[in-house]
Amino acid sequence: MSTLMRAEWLKLRTTRSPWLLLSASLATIIVGVSGLMARIDNPGDPVTQQRAIAHLGLVSLFTLVLGITATAGEHRHRTISDTYLAVPQRHRVVWAKLAVYTAAGIVSGIAAAAGALATTAIWLVARGFSLDLASTDLWLTVAGGIAWNAAFAAIGIGVGALITNQNAAIATALAWLALVEGLVGQLIGDAQRWLPFALGSALDRLPTVTDGPVQWQAGLALGAYAAAFAVAAVLTSVRRDVT
Amino acid sequence: MTAVSIRGLTKRFGAVTAVDDLTVDLTPGVTGFLGPNGAGKTTILRLILGLIRPTAGTALIDGHRYADLPHPRRTVGALLEASGFHPGRTGRQTLRIAARLAGLPDSRIDAVLDQVDLTTTANRRVGTYSLGMRQRLGLAAALLGDPQVLMLDEPGNGLDPAGMAWLRGLLRDLAAHGRTVVVSSHVLAEVAQTADRIVIVHQGTVRFAGAIDALAGPAALEAEFLRLTAGAAPAAEGSTR
Repeated sequence: MSTLMRAEWLKLRTTRSPWLLLSASLATIIVGVSGLMARIDNPGDPVTQQRAIAHLGLVSLFTLVLGITATAGEHRHRTISDTYLAVPQRHRVVWAKLAVYTAAGIVSGIAAAAGALATTAIWLVARGFSLDLASTDLWLTVAGGIAWNAAFAAIGIGVGALITNQNAAIATALAWLALVEGLVGQLIGDAQRWLPFALGSALDRLPTVTDGPVQWQAGLALGAYAAAFAVAAVLTSVRRDVT
Repeated sequence: MTAVSIRGLTKRFGAVTAVDDLTVDLTPGVTGFLGPNGAGKTTILRLILGLIRPTAGTALIDGHRYADLPHPRRTVGALLEASGFHPGRTGRQTLRIAARLAGLPDSRIDAVLDQVDLTTTANRRVGTYSLGMRQRLGLAAALLGDPQVLMLDEPGNGLDPAGMAWLRGLLRDLAAHGRTVVVSSHVLAEVAQTADRIVIVHQGTVRFAGAIDALAGPAALEAEFLRLTAGAAPAAEGSTR
């Protein structure tokens, strides 16, 4: 691990927000899975189990916010001056953040997966069933959900570098997920399946996705979004005046 | 000997010219960087440090642009604002991050904490620090790389009289070791006690650059400052450009 990545790792673990976001992520999963498993009539159905596990992808919302805080947060707290004074080659800062926070997204995704599997298993046992660990669909959802968490963390780095006002960046990102993607989707018809949240849903193999791209295509497309945001982040970061 | 050479430095933000064809040399010793609010002092420091891109001109440190220095934090230390810290990190964590970013050994952290007298409060969150303590932390970060050049923007802000006396001693000590120390300040009397030279900036241009001895005492400095920073640019004076 490079010196710069070690510094980014140290930044990540010396603030409380990553832990708060991870806690929120796990709490959301427990509530989401419990809400489904407590009332559904056929908890033993593999599709139901996969639906429950798929909650791990939906909490990529929190890794998106984590990524945003990594870049926009430096502007918010005005630590960006010190970072650029130590590393005047600003593109290196963006790439280091991208590497560290994508890894953090994977770790957060793994924790979310463990939380979803455990919560689902506990509900199944309570209702007299057991988790079908031999199901390929279940593990594909686990892998896809983790990848969605990682991709959104990487996209968050780009969003935060482009919109350096942290509150505005988070509000924009959440508005996109809650409202704007749906509105844009109505305008562009079938192409909406290639928008970020739709791609994440396909990657996570959410049962609600019926006509999206196949999982590997969704993963590649979401990776392409992350790469595009990263390039835009580098291009704007190297030119921006830090006043 | 490490010096800063500024030639024709210009920065425009849209229609506003913040720095206008500025030429000056900053040499070892303490240079007081004076000017009224909005004179462009902070912008000039940020231009030298590569945080702001110039519209025209150059600012070279030992013949290099800041971004081209092989070890920037070992060459230049900067204190730009006392608010540039994450409030949730401790003072020590803040310095560990600064050291790691700059590739400096952790052993420097205790040395600079001792130098700025923050050792006993280093494990407290910065959010609980007074403004004076944050200034000391910023100075510690600037000193981490044991640099030959120090650019300090209003380092006396928030310091009590004892703190000011301590800062004066620190700056004189750094200058005595051959370092180039640039201190922007509004406190003319303080600058008069500390600086070897002064640069007076107004409306983005240098109005005076020369030895402080050219001005007899703090009262003369204030009178000259007020004259030079009032109205239109005066003619060159002394070693003024």
